[in-house]
Amino acid sequence: MDFKVRLSRFLRFLFPLAVCLAVWELLAFFDILNPNLVSSPSRIIWKMYELVFPNPILLVYLGRSLYRLALGYALGAVFGISLGILMGMNRYLYWIASPVLSLLISIPTIAWVPLFLFTVGIGDETILLAIFLGCFFAIVYNTMNGIRSIKKELIWASQIMGADRKIIFLEVLLPGASVSIITGLRLAVGYSWRALVGAEMLASISGGIGRMIYAARAFNDVNTMFTGLIIIAVGGLLIDHLVLGWLEKKTIEKWGMVKKRE
Amino acid sequence: MKTGIFNKSTSRFFLQAIIVFAVFMSLLLLWEAISFFGILNPSLISRPSEIFLDMWKLFLKRSPAAQSVLLVHIYSSLYRLFLAFSLAAGVGISLGILMGYSQRIHWFLEPLITLAMPVPGIAWAPIFMIWFGFGDPTIISVGALAAFFPIVYNTTTGVRSIEKEFIWAARSMGADRKTIFFKVLLPSSAPYIFTGFKLGLARGWRTIIAVEMIAASLWGLGFMIFDARDYLRPSIIYGGIIILAVVYLFIEGLVKLVERRTIAKWGMVRPEAM
Repeated sequence: MDFKVRLSRFLRFLFPLAVCLAVWELLAFFDILNPNLVSSPSRIIWKMYELVFPNPILLVYLGRSLYRLALGYALGAVFGISLGILMGMNRYLYWIASPVLSLLISIPTIAWVPLFLFTVGIGDETILLAIFLGCFFAIVYNTMNGIRSIKKELIWASQIMGADRKIIFLEVLLPGASVSIITGLRLAVGYSWRALVGAEMLASISGGIGRMIYAARAFNDVNTMFTGLIIIAVGGLLIDHLVLGWLEKKTIEKWGMVKKRE
Repeated sequence: MKTGIFNKSTSRFFLQAIIVFAVFMSLLLLWEAISFFGILNPSLISRPSEIFLDMWKLFLKRSPAAQSVLLVHIYSSLYRLFLAFSLAAGVGISLGILMGYSQRIHWFLEPLITLAMPVPGIAWAPIFMIWFGFGDPTIISVGALAAFFPIVYNTTTGVRSIEKEFIWAARSMGADRKTIFFKVLLPSSAPYIFTGFKLGLARGWRTIIAVEMIAASLWGLGFMIFDARDYLRPSIIYGGIIILAVVYLFIEGLVKLVERRTIAKWGMVRPEAM
């Protein structure tokens, strides 16, 4: 896409936000909004500055959250894709596991957290498990559906042409399921982000963005809470657009399996 | 969601039900047997029989108002979900239609919604607690906020995806604005609105359970699970999780029923959107 077009689109996206921020700032400036209850853009920026200089606590927290997210998500992706492929290829495993999966998938991830607090204790392990579960089910489910939706005729055709199991797996099953797998991976990022924030609130002992918001409540520190909220919003958006948009562009769009996104 | 192993005939449906039932029973039996032989630590992992018994006791236990404690927990969560969802649906549909109608409103609000939509509902909870304190107002408003975004987003998409030709055709046949709204716009965006409802309901439910853990006073399934942790009662946590799953499957079944009676009957189902 042309740079100018992108820039103008970006500015058009930004303009309404800027108007809202300006109105918000004015309302706060004239004390129409109670400063004990609602923050203001300038105070949020100031708070961000305070949290980074001289002591970069915000960056430390963000780093910790991102590390947990990356680790939990990677675990979920590896195990989720593996189990999904197995369930998609083996009918008996599918019969046994799919009812259990559809029961487990309907449980809100956060409901597991008290159980993990109980069994593995407060701290990073619980948060990791929550993130893992948050993304695991979506990935398993989508991978499995991807494999199962491949037409039998394609497999038969490649068998007739003399492909062995390995080639069928690598050249038919995996590419055929890739759209679905990547959809699952993409959904799972949102889920694990959500699980991260929730689990950090309930189970973190060593900081993190979710913890920061939750802890700030005890001091009625609305500025920190709004700062955290904005970081969560922007972070979620960036991860989705940059990382996964990039992944999609490099894989399934390039292979021509979905139409290019605007 | 296609859960079916088979989808053909009733006899196959029964076969499927039997397989599902058998799978669950054998897993529970396995679990029970493993716990029975003391392989699992009983203070961490409860036995199925114990979970069932404790849930039964909780069902029989009376609250101060002489109602079953378990049912009051379930009822509180569902009541919050109902209020939050109604609120979100009302505001979401109205705003979504406005955004679909007017290019200007859409241009202005779309960035805000794009930015706020991916924020997990629970992240709002601490701020709402400062505004509304513990209890229902916080839980319901955070739940409503979480459910609002998918509804407004899908409604907008629905209204905007109507082909202009339909509206022109209706207009040239002499339909006024009101007729166009009720006979063209609303029916053709109904499937989208319904998708928004489904997503909103799921999101609202999840958020309400989560917020109940940090902001509930006394009742609600989320509160029940989180509270059991303090009293070292794993069986109630396990039971609570199972009840959460069952209640949600029940809600999902209800939604499917409504869908079959309305959208599907009108012939307007569109491919499943996640």
